[in-house]
Amino acid sequence: MERRKTTGDMSAAELADVLAQVRAGDAEAWGELYGQYAPAIFRFCRRALPTREDAEDATTEIFMKVRQKLGTYDSSRPFTAWLYKVASNHCWDLLRRRRIRQDLETGDLETLPLEHPDPDQLEQLQTEHDSKHVRAGLAKMPDRARMALVLRYYSDMSYDEIADTLGVRRAFVGVLLLRARHQLREILAEGGGGMRTAAAGGKP
Amino acid sequence: MNHFDEMTALLYLEQQLDTAHAQEVRGHVATCNDCRNLLRALELEGVWLRQSLEADDESVPAHLVQAPERGGTPWGWLSAFGLGAGGAYTMWSGFVEPWRAQAAQSGFTQGNLLTMLFFSGAFWKGWDAMRSLTEFLALATLGVLVIWLLRRHLRRTTAFAVVMGAMVMALALAPAGQAAEIKHGNPNYTLAAGEVIHTDLIVSADAARIDGDVDGDLITFSRSVTVNGHIKGDVISFSEELHVNGIVDGNVRAFVKEFQLNGTVGRNVMSWVGDMNTDEKSVVNGTMTLGAGDCTLNGKLVGDLLSFSGSLELDGSLGRNVMVRAGHLRVGPKAVVAGEFKAQVRKPADISPDAKLASPPVISIVEHDSDKSYSSPRYYWHQTLLWGASFIFGLVMLLLMPGFFFDAAGACKRTVPAFGFGILFLFALPIVAIIVCFTIVGIGVGITSLMLWAIALYAAQVVVGAWLGDRLLGPSTGVGAALGRMALGLLILRAIGLVPHLGFWINFLVICLGLGAIVLAIYRYMRPNLQAAAVV
Repeated sequence: MERRKTTGDMSAAELADVLAQVRAGDAEAWGELYGQYAPAIFRFCRRALPTREDAEDATTEIFMKVRQKLGTYDSSRPFTAWLYKVASNHCWDLLRRRRIRQDLETGDLETLPLEHPDPDQLEQLQTEHDSKHVRAGLAKMPDRARMALVLRYYSDMSYDEIADTLGVRRAFVGVLLLRARHQLREILAEGGGGMRTAAAGGKP
Repeated sequence: MNHFDEMTALLYLEQQLDTAHAQEVRGHVATCNDCRNLLRALELEGVWLRQSLEADDESVPAHLVQAPERGGTPWGWLSAFGLGAGGAYTMWSGFVEPWRAQAAQSGFTQGNLLTMLFFSGAFWKGWDAMRSLTEFLALATLGVLVIWLLRRHLRRTTAFAVVMGAMVMALALAPAGQAAEIKHGNPNYTLAAGEVIHTDLIVSADAARIDGDVDGDLITFSRSVTVNGHIKGDVISFSEELHVNGIVDGNVRAFVKEFQLNGTVGRNVMSWVGDMNTDEKSVVNGTMTLGAGDCTLNGKLVGDLLSFSGSLELDGSLGRNVMVRAGHLRVGPKAVVAGEFKAQVRKPADISPDAKLASPPVISIVEHDSDKSYSSPRYYWHQTLLWGASFIFGLVMLLLMPGFFFDAAGACKRTVPAFGFGILFLFALPIVAIIVCFTIVGIGVGITSLMLWAIALYAAQVVVGAWLGDRLLGPSTGVGAALGRMALGLLILRAIGLVPHLGFWINFLVICLGLGAIVLAIYRYMRPNLQAAAVV
């Protein structure tokens, strides 16, 4: 699985060495680890959380957790996978603590008739909106939907990992992602795009 | 195979279909132009989403790039704990305990520290109701604890609704047990002589005159109140002027500008008043607790006297102990004090040689605050202990509510809105809380709001201190480091606060900024709920 890139180049051996030093209480090594990964984690948080302030705070708190939990990290697994797992859990927990978790959404989704998009309009929407529009649209999305998109298309998490992080059934992840895509299309379309959905069953 | 739906197309693209199903889709796509177009559009959308999410169109904050520094050292913790414990002990032994002891000597023997802190409850309905208020506050505290414990298992709205519902029920049940007659003057109200109110009487009028009898309590919100009749319960008055010429079997609790007592009070008098006078014919059979500007006592007091006043003139009969703190004290020739007489005054007391005192008065002269010597080591030691106490408060806050602590400290960055909200809440909230206190069911809410406001005022320095420390040393990544930064910030704030004149304004700004940051942090926690509510 491909993970987000970090700011520097640290080989696996170097990383293992740094992690061992951090575990031994070496402050300099901790600083090196932090400097290496903090920007990437901030970017992740910036996408997963609604505001920049949230992302800054979350980044700091995530690294506080990382330092506390580093002893539980299984070195046979990729460090970045573990780090992103900690980060995604923290962000989702943060959102959940703020009561943003939309439990009603689950019930709605399972019975929601999904409308098929017009492929031409879908492509038109993509050409009309750049990354800034998409990021602005993400901020307006329900948190679970935003988290699903970020975990899948930014962090490259598997369906199993997404299900585990968001606390949903694995079979529900696909529905969640599809619903999130629809919501993003609607938000962007309302913001000036020309995307329209065809009636259910009208298109394949 | 028929056309497949968008869900199937997405799962196919994401390689989430089983082999047989994927093969089926692949075969259909080879022959169906519509489905091929849909598949292509979704695939492009996936690529577009990835590219959009990966685009770095926003800078990373500089403080997040810096390597964090090492956390706090054990000696720092130990010193802070020591100073904090010393500060707490000093505050207890120097302020709280003497105050409690003085109050106990003055007749508040039923109360403990909690009841003293919540004296407003006693003011409201006497000590019996005080117990109810204490129980209510305990219930409210328990409710908050339950919300905290259930926060991971229940939607917070549900838990909050349950607890708030229980609290509202508790508030609603309390007044349901007692009937009361409510009168609104137009603009004045008079209860004529010979008339009897068989329940509590609540009066709101420009001028209220009670010539008749009230079997219950008399509660007044008026500019002027005159009581000539017989009140069998308590008199509770929020007014500009209060004249009690008749008989009150219970207590008199008064928040008034001018209080004239000419009649008889069966139990205690507690008043916060600008000017107070008791006529030589007046009798108070219980104790008297006063916070007054100018006070003249010529009547008979059977119990203890505890008085904090600008000037106090005693020329009546005092049956038990007298504890006085006053700017100026005069004891007239008709004064009789049967118990101990202790006084702290700013100027030498004027005691008539004809006054009859059972024991020699113990008079001590206290210096004005501004006379404190900045060259005294004791002064700086005292300040150090106060710094320690604020540090302990911050430590508890950080350990109990780390998320809120960092949110509040971080909100200081939004200086302008924080100041705005801080100034607004600094003045508006106590006014609103006092107004709420005027309603019968709202007194618990009002008092609780005032207490939370007072706690927020103290917490303001901690929040600003934490933020200041972060600004100076960079962001922290551990509890120890965060505490170290907070300790440094608090130290700087306290040092600046020592500067004459300037220190006052700095402290004022710190309170405004910190209070505003706390409000912003609370708003931040509430904001998502408002959004969710709007969606629903």
